[in-house]
Amino acid sequence: METLLESIGNFLNTLGPMIVLPIVITILGIILGQRPDRAFRSGLLTAVAFVGIFLTVGLLGENVSTIATAFAERTGTGLDIIDIGWPAASALAFGTPVGNVIIPVGIALNIILLLLGLTQTLDIDIWNFWHMAFVGAIVQFVTGSFALALAAAAISLVMALFLADWSASLIQKHFNMPGVSIPHLQSAGYMLLAWPFARVINRISFLKRLQLDPDSIRKRLGVLGEPVVLGLIIGLVLALLAGQAPLDALITAVNIAAVMVLVPRMVAILMEGLTPVADAARNFMTSRFAGRRFHIGLDSAVLIGNPGVIASGLLMVPVEIVLALLLSAVGNRTLPFIDLADGPFVTAMLAPLVGGDVLLTVILGAIVMGIGLIFTTLLAPAVTQMVVQSGVSVDIPAGYATYTVMSDGAIPASYGLYYIFSLPGVAALVVSLIVLVALYFLKGRFSLGGERGED
Amino acid sequence: MERKKVYIVCATGIATSTMLRVKIEEFLKDKGIDVVVNQYRVTELAPSRVDADVIVATTGMPDEFAGVVPVINGVPLITGVGEDQTLQEILDTLQAAG
Repeated sequence: METLLESIGNFLNTLGPMIVLPIVITILGIILGQRPDRAFRSGLLTAVAFVGIFLTVGLLGENVSTIATAFAERTGTGLDIIDIGWPAASALAFGTPVGNVIIPVGIALNIILLLLGLTQTLDIDIWNFWHMAFVGAIVQFVTGSFALALAAAAISLVMALFLADWSASLIQKHFNMPGVSIPHLQSAGYMLLAWPFARVINRISFLKRLQLDPDSIRKRLGVLGEPVVLGLIIGLVLALLAGQAPLDALITAVNIAAVMVLVPRMVAILMEGLTPVADAARNFMTSRFAGRRFHIGLDSAVLIGNPGVIASGLLMVPVEIVLALLLSAVGNRTLPFIDLADGPFVTAMLAPLVGGDVLLTVILGAIVMGIGLIFTTLLAPAVTQMVVQSGVSVDIPAGYATYTVMSDGAIPASYGLYYIFSLPGVAALVVSLIVLVALYFLKGRFSLGGERGED
Repeated sequence: MERKKVYIVCATGIATSTMLRVKIEEFLKDKGIDVVVNQYRVTELAPSRVDADVIVATTGMPDEFAGVVPVINGVPLITGVGEDQTLQEILDTLQAAG
């Protein structure tokens, strides 16, 4: 079994995402009842997206790796590991061997868990299976085994479903979205880590009295919510600090603004290819579970319009930069960069833990990302390998700048499984099984927003 | 009928808004409506910059958009629950915009 899986893994790796993902998407679409010509078009679009993604991520590497190294040296901060951001990471993760097969595997696993009654979440958010693919990619780095990487990805999917069940009731109440749960490994993973801290800071009454107004923050910091402007500003500051001449710095800044705009556009094409399949999968699953009570699992993106989430998410921009600088003393080398634009994904599921209070949400965000930055640094070799193996043409200056992904390197499930799978295979599987049982117990006994109150 | 403008707003301007764009474009094309669809992230949109006949959002929109442009909740297009009504609502709103 294991050798069979390994040869499948090698085979997928040799062909690459531009061949494998379109085939998987086309076949899956047909199995789920799509018309063959449309399924083929979907598959082809995913391949086209990868062409675009490789081109634009190459642009990122070219512009950023040189200035980041110079920045780290000249400023003495030592922040030489670049955050490539979730848009690039999502595509690269889908492009790995585990990423190529995660969608059908994930759907099947979700259906099995629903049939066994182990979860109440029907995850129709196929797109965010990329977080599990990311876990697979870093575990493949540490184990060298496709079978174990796939197992780790599957385990992280079960974690996401359990966390969605755990938080469902609170999320539904806080955001007024009945019938919904959020199996989003990133936001839900942060929520689990923040939960004990939330129980503490909810008791500190003077913090609660400070009441920051979400609307005025949103209006004042609104510009930080525009990736193109944020890219320009951060690019300019970094380039100047890295010692570039003003004109060169401006050119670098414009290039980074371009990365902020172009990479997501390419990812949108990938999304466009996946949409019909996601739709077919949704219809396939919901029709099989008609009449049963379940939560529909959605992207945490649906929570983000909430004013408290946006305001605290925008405040995360300066907070993450300051954290990175402060924590450089204790081992952080991550330079927060592209993912600065997506603070609301950090805060989306933290806000309900503190009744939507902006200041308390930011404090929780700082705790989660502070711990996270240490691990994004430690995970950098794994992420760098994911980038290098993807076939993106990036030159990493020898011995220096490497890459990480702030959004996903900072997820407890990512670094947790990364270290668990540093153990021998069997031990790793046993430990992760214990973690799953613990999470199952957690969602059964301590589910959020239930009768026991939100604390 | 002149070309209609639809904004689709989500958290990233990429993920859920792309799902909606695929569906809305297809639906409106079938109905013979000439439409241009743009995707935005909720944090980058201000009421003064909106030039659209309707906004479909998969995420809550700040209150200040009320009265500027009709805002339709796009979540049913993701969950599938109430999808047809939502598409019809978009069509009705565009036709009412004249």
